[in-house]
Amino acid sequence: MAYMLQAAQLGKTVTTAAGDLTILKDINLSVAKGESLAITGASGSGKSTLLGLLAGLDVPTTGRVELAGINLGELDEEGRARVRAEHVGFVFQSFQLLPGLTALENVMLPLELVGDAKARQRASEYLERVGLAARLGHYPPQLSGGEQQRVAIARAFACEPDILFADEPTGNLDSSTGHTINDLLFGLNEEAGTTLVLITHEERLANRCARQLQLAGGELMIASAEAIA
Amino acid sequence: MLAWRLLWRNWRSGEIKLLSVALALAVTVVSAIALFTDRLEGTLLEQSNSLLGADRLVTSNQPHRREWADEARRRDLAQTRVVHFASMVFAGDEMHLASVKAVAEGYPLRGYIDTSQTPFALEPELIERAQGIPAAGEVWVDSRLLPLLHIELGDTLQVGEGRLRATRVITSEPDGSGPFSVMGARILMNWADLERTRVIQPGSRVEYQWLLAGEEAQVSEFMQWLEPKLSEHEEVMDIENAQRRLQGTLLSGRRFLVLAAVMGVLLAGVAIALAARQFADRHINQVALLKSLGTSAGRIRGLYLAQLLILAALASLLGLALGALLQEVIARVVLKLYQIEMAPSGLIPIALSLLSGPLALVGFALPSLWFLPGVPPIKVLRQEMVIPRGAFVWQVILACAVLILLVGVFGRDLVLGLTVLAALAVVGSLASALALGLLATSRRAGAQAGSRWRLALASIQRRRGASVLQVVVFATAIMLLLSLTIVRTSLIEEWQVKVPDNAPNHFLLNIAPSQVEDFRALLTADSLKVEQLYPMVRGRLTHINDEPKPEDTLNREASLTWTAELAEDNQVVAGKWWGEWQRGEADLPGVSVEQEVAERLGIALGDRLSFSIGGLAAEAEVASFRTLEWESLQPNFYFIFEPGALDDYAPMYMTSVYLPAEKKRFINTLLTRYPTVVVIELDRIINQIRTIISQVSDGVGLVLAMVLLGGCLVLIAAVTGSIDARKQEAGLLRALGAPRRLMVGGIWIEFALLGGCAGVIAVMASEALLLGLQVFVFEVPVQPHYLYWLLTPAVSAVFVGVLGAISCRHAVTTPPAIVLREAQ
Repeated sequence: MAYMLQAAQLGKTVTTAAGDLTILKDINLSVAKGESLAITGASGSGKSTLLGLLAGLDVPTTGRVELAGINLGELDEEGRARVRAEHVGFVFQSFQLLPGLTALENVMLPLELVGDAKARQRASEYLERVGLAARLGHYPPQLSGGEQQRVAIARAFACEPDILFADEPTGNLDSSTGHTINDLLFGLNEEAGTTLVLITHEERLANRCARQLQLAGGELMIASAEAIA
Repeated sequence: MLAWRLLWRNWRSGEIKLLSVALALAVTVVSAIALFTDRLEGTLLEQSNSLLGADRLVTSNQPHRREWADEARRRDLAQTRVVHFASMVFAGDEMHLASVKAVAEGYPLRGYIDTSQTPFALEPELIERAQGIPAAGEVWVDSRLLPLLHIELGDTLQVGEGRLRATRVITSEPDGSGPFSVMGARILMNWADLERTRVIQPGSRVEYQWLLAGEEAQVSEFMQWLEPKLSEHEEVMDIENAQRRLQGTLLSGRRFLVLAAVMGVLLAGVAIALAARQFADRHINQVALLKSLGTSAGRIRGLYLAQLLILAALASLLGLALGALLQEVIARVVLKLYQIEMAPSGLIPIALSLLSGPLALVGFALPSLWFLPGVPPIKVLRQEMVIPRGAFVWQVILACAVLILLVGVFGRDLVLGLTVLAALAVVGSLASALALGLLATSRRAGAQAGSRWRLALASIQRRRGASVLQVVVFATAIMLLLSLTIVRTSLIEEWQVKVPDNAPNHFLLNIAPSQVEDFRALLTADSLKVEQLYPMVRGRLTHINDEPKPEDTLNREASLTWTAELAEDNQVVAGKWWGEWQRGEADLPGVSVEQEVAERLGIALGDRLSFSIGGLAAEAEVASFRTLEWESLQPNFYFIFEPGALDDYAPMYMTSVYLPAEKKRFINTLLTRYPTVVVIELDRIINQIRTIISQVSDGVGLVLAMVLLGGCLVLIAAVTGSIDARKQEAGLLRALGAPRRLMVGGIWIEFALLGGCAGVIAVMASEALLLGLQVFVFEVPVQPHYLYWLLTPAVSAVFVGVLGAISCRHAVTTPPAIVLREAQ
């Protein structure tokens, strides 16, 4: 089976004033191409740290991560940035839209960075697909939370990534808006055949993924064997 | 292209507006001052050269050589010639020993001859600028010649063997104080008439002047070629000796402009640094996002650098345009008010101004932004993560280096720049310590305060670091503005004191001892104030302690006088004044010598000086050295003897008098009654000095206004830096039910407190800075400024309070939900 993402003996320890603090310990997992995986866990269980390591935003203290067949441990920050540019998309809990840019420009930005000549056209198309055709010229503060997350989803998919990391995508939204956003996320994911790694503490959302892993105290609770399989 | 698009979006979102304005302001200040000082210097040089009538003058007792003239022509220099001599002129039975100047075509090469058809005219509408020189057969004359010879304009007078018609009176001419001017009234004639009048005979005492003008570089080059060929009878004159009176004023004026430039650039620099810091704060998340999207640190650095460079280029162009406009406005005002055409500016200040934008950016903005590309991508997931910034020390060092470069290159006065910087370094550290102390006191006071005060004090304490920074920045800005204002005021006052409104504006010479009493009575009858009457003989210093005096100094007759009273502007700096001084063994009379000339001649106290007075020898012992103010326009003497020492040498008396413009025609009466009295009209020189002082003061005022603008910008930048955090807090407090009045009151009190603290620190610091500046740079008397001690803290509390309230009004007047959402 071809894996999009593999992690082995992954661990993260940080040094604090009170001594070393282990956030993640001995994480082993793999995600097949096109698969969707939910990582659940309570606040402070290390979900976001794990996402950061898997997506190459941060470096582990121990273990290794392979993304799209590339060992991230062998790369420097520049190399990891190239991998992210080529393969990865993100949806964040706090949307991470640039407040000074319109909805359209927020979606155009990653396309412009890779020199896409049709950035404007593609961004418009994706915003239309998330139902914001009438809101292209609006700035983030002028949009509701749900609308802002739709812009973030359009931005993530517009780059047509191989793998999408979603960090609590509905964490800042009410349940009804959250539901709509989830439908959108999974719908687009299915259409594009993107691999999805979803971090959430909502069981209902996690259940929509093909597979779920639970993180507690920095360790995976569901048998790692199954996760690796 | 992407950098352009990103820049445009940043501009639209308002994130770089403050940075752009600060940058444009820095360039505006630099370019306005660079261009203005360049033009001012050019103008003053031209005006000074107009005192000579040329850029260089070669004087000799014989005409200059033809091959030199050919060489000058080959080098494209403009040239003409003048000959000065004294000659008896006649009209009917009257005669007068006039000071004649025969000029050739092209005279003057610099400056103008102003003439009138009305004798003694002062009104501008009666005076016209001469085109060319007197036609052959005509002369232009001093007004005072007309009453002396009992003639009117249009009449003819006999000069040598020729008859020439007086067609105009001269109201001003370049080089008015020619070698013979003291002796008689001026007559300006055409060189072509020299032969016909046969006025110059072999053996006549004449002075030939060869006038040269051109591009400064070419003139200097030519003079280098010429000087080795000159004999000891030929002397080169340039403006150095022509503008001695104005030098003090000009130097301090220029220094003030440079000081203002340093402060202006510094203030704009602080504003740029603060704006850049704010920009960096707002872009941390953006950079983290860009990195999570796969943009490399190198690419991010490139994108930001490109944006900043475009911004710097645009700001430089805008700043240069504004700076050029501003100084053009001053030049126009100067032209309108004083009829002085300012010299055009050179290309160098323009090029330097354009460079100042990128330089200011590198020095002040880049250090605050340097860490941005290093923001780790994980920041997108961990909002609470603290991003380390670059070392503060390096930021300061880089900023100082750029400042020194800017001041060194633009101001050409590195010492002044370094002085201000050193003072600022001390002030900065003291201000930080004081601010911390004051804040600690405010915390203790806060415990007993009412709710508004508690809110304000809590806010100051919560943002302790930012509060100290704000106080230091406010204090620095206020200190710089305060110092500049005080220096300007005291400088202008100082200049006005040097040339008071009723300063004597006419020197009256050659008054016979028998005429003194009548003369005094005539002046008093016309309610004119008579200054001291000095007896005067002309004499030449020949020996010092029986050794011939040095050849290079004082090769002419000097005016010798004696007096018991020391004039107000004279000060004995060594030795003793009459009364305390005792004659030595040789029983020679004492003489007091002006200090500078004593130094040049190598004279010491107790030396024996020998003078030749009209062929008779006189000796004196040096009793004291004096300083005097040439700028005071009072009669001043190199040598003052003890009373009675020169009684045997047939002295003539001299004095100075203030004649208001409306009494100018009094000279006519005076000269008709005392034809031998010589009048030197200083009023035009005084007007020229006033004009130049006004020019410098106007420039200084405008520069001060620009620096003030820089100060306001710094204050705005410092306040808006904390706006984001404030908005969120205010939204939260209002959501929790805090009334608007409480919030607004709290903000008022908070900023007023910060402003008050800054005011106290600023006034202390500016007194310290002023002490240094007044003592070492401007050499003006030191005095404390009590009024400012009261006013500054109060005004700055109100001003910063208002500024803070206005800047934060959005945070407290907008519904809390919107504020909280925006703050997210």
